[in-house]
Amino acid sequence: MSAAGTAPATEDRAVRVLLSKVGLDGHDRGAKVVSAMLRDAGMEVIYLGIHKTAEAIVRAALQEDVDVIGLSSLGGSHLAHGQQIIDLLRQSDCEHLPVVLGGTVPVEDIPRLEEIGIRAVLRPGSSREEIVGIVEDLGRRARAAI
Amino acid sequence: MTDDPTKALEQAYRQGATDNDSWSGIPCQGVYGPDDLSELDYQEALGDPGQFPYTRGIYPDMYRGRLWTKREVCGFGSGRDTNERMRFQIANGVSGLSIITDNNGSLGIDADHPMGITDAGTQGVSVSSLADFEELFAEVPIDRVSIAFDNSGLDAFSWMALYVAYAERHGIDPAKLRGTVQNDTLHFLYCGYGDSCPVDLGLKTSVDIIEYCTHHMPLWHTGNVNFYDLREQGLDAPQEVAFGFGNAIEYTEKALERGLDIDAFSARRSFYCSAHIDLFEEVAKIRAARRMWARIMRDDFGAKAERSLQFRFGAHTAGVSLTAVQPLNNVVRVAYQALAAVLAGAQSVHCCSYDEPIGLPTETSQGLAIRTQQILAHETGVTRVSDPLGGSYYIENLTNQIEARATAILATIKEQGGMGTAIRSGWVQRQIDEALLLREDEIEKGEKTIVGVNEYRQPPETETPGGFHAAPEGQGERLAATVRKLRAERDNAAVAKALRELHAQAQLGERHNLIPAMVAAAHANATIGEMLGTVRIALGHDYDPMGVLQPPAEIAA
Repeated sequence: MSAAGTAPATEDRAVRVLLSKVGLDGHDRGAKVVSAMLRDAGMEVIYLGIHKTAEAIVRAALQEDVDVIGLSSLGGSHLAHGQQIIDLLRQSDCEHLPVVLGGTVPVEDIPRLEEIGIRAVLRPGSSREEIVGIVEDLGRRARAAI
Repeated sequence: MTDDPTKALEQAYRQGATDNDSWSGIPCQGVYGPDDLSELDYQEALGDPGQFPYTRGIYPDMYRGRLWTKREVCGFGSGRDTNERMRFQIANGVSGLSIITDNNGSLGIDADHPMGITDAGTQGVSVSSLADFEELFAEVPIDRVSIAFDNSGLDAFSWMALYVAYAERHGIDPAKLRGTVQNDTLHFLYCGYGDSCPVDLGLKTSVDIIEYCTHHMPLWHTGNVNFYDLREQGLDAPQEVAFGFGNAIEYTEKALERGLDIDAFSARRSFYCSAHIDLFEEVAKIRAARRMWARIMRDDFGAKAERSLQFRFGAHTAGVSLTAVQPLNNVVRVAYQALAAVLAGAQSVHCCSYDEPIGLPTETSQGLAIRTQQILAHETGVTRVSDPLGGSYYIENLTNQIEARATAILATIKEQGGMGTAIRSGWVQRQIDEALLLREDEIEKGEKTIVGVNEYRQPPETETPGGFHAAPEGQGERLAATVRKLRAERDNAAVAKALRELHAQAQLGERHNLIPAMVAAAHANATIGEMLGTVRIALGHDYDPMGVLQPPAEIAA
């Protein structure tokens, strides 16, 4: 699943990522670690924090012109929250904007999340290489497609 | 690693221990001997189990007297869902109950809060009013079982009010209730609930609980200072102890300021610690904590009663150490961690279920966690002798080292003016943030091996062994509908009257205890969002911690 090199090269601007959590789940350790990883890899990260509505996340993503949305979910509501974000992106004609979801997700739910339109699911224990590679790749492809 | 099986076998055969520092970075020698303990005075530093400074345990007979309380944290969906699971636990041999509220409850909002409907009941039981307690405790003999409430923020305040009201409604004298409310509002700031429980409000409600229970519920533990959640953030063992004690000292000082006698309330204080993966370090950590607490209570607070000096603790195996990949490996991790807790002399133990990094526990996974405790209690023989590792050159040395490190950190906290100040200045948060990245770095660089994650990997599973817990479709909506129905059907004039009274009493000053007015509001079927919102607004905070709802007209300023 690596890496940045496989995507078509576009302008040199760093990939911009918005990370956040929908709803009441406050387990933010993962989101903080991933934010730091992506920043270390040279990406621009906007960490919106916990307790956000899906609307607030999509609005911020569009305003900030990000290339990828990252959702962290450790509360068991990943299907509902993932669906809300994808629906809102569709309504804004932004379904090309890739959404990555990380957190405590049973493997059985990964195909369901992919059906909804989540582009990648990262479970606990994913390596820095995997995380950075997937986000960077999706971000560059998304930008090239515009 | 090599692909050649012969070479791989040879490498595996020749491999030595790779990690010679403890999990907390304490360098360890290959062997310890009498020279490492030359200055140890048995009576002064250890004492027999049951004797000051309780390093070796708080009871002379430890588990021969009574085994640890076997609890498994429980809470999901409605009161009825959780009640069913509790009965399953009882049928399978737990010896105490432990209930956790959902995020709505933790934040102090109801199931029908516009921001919380999707998540209601997902990470704990949904409780918005006394009606939910009726379902939750149906046919549970609350005057005869010990129940732990894992409520730490303002939810501790609302749950105590609901519990007292529930007991009264059923003709049970609250003085007979046994159990624990976590009531650690300071640590709550670091548990992912944002600023839903501001420091001043948290300290006020925490001390209200301590004061109320000291006078009216003598068997109830008024707080279970939570080391565990701090450790889960990535802090090391000495930090866990020091930060936890920093918080515990803050509550103790506030309770004294309220006018309580140190020995009157300290007998019913307790702690909730992590049982992490570094077996000997964890045992040493607890032994150090017992010694430190006894001396802090005697020397700094002048406590005299034996129970005030004793560090009573429940242990929670380390959720953060578990892995989502190869999840059955977690059964083994949990067993070692529970062993550490018991070798350290825990008063109660919660074993994580192996599917903790995947979701809430299923009956299968939680059943196995209960059996893990039972095998430990009844097959391994570890219950025979008090403090079985006491006197080990290594353990005593490690105990001393952890105590020295934790004492130094605690001194830094005191220099800053105590934990309240260290929290407000952001110092605590910085320590946590640094620790978090340090832990991640260790794993990534391979300094710490996590089997299945950075070593011994295998292709990902395609299904969760034993199945997984999924919240039923539409659960949040159903829970929200129950609260809306309650609002429509209850005597709203009585609710308004109770909330006005609570609001008025909250303005009578910091020292005025609000539990009785909260209990009255609970009897009137006010919701937790309404009760806590009323207290919040009366004490100068937003009515709604999420900043969405407006206060009802009867209490709006």
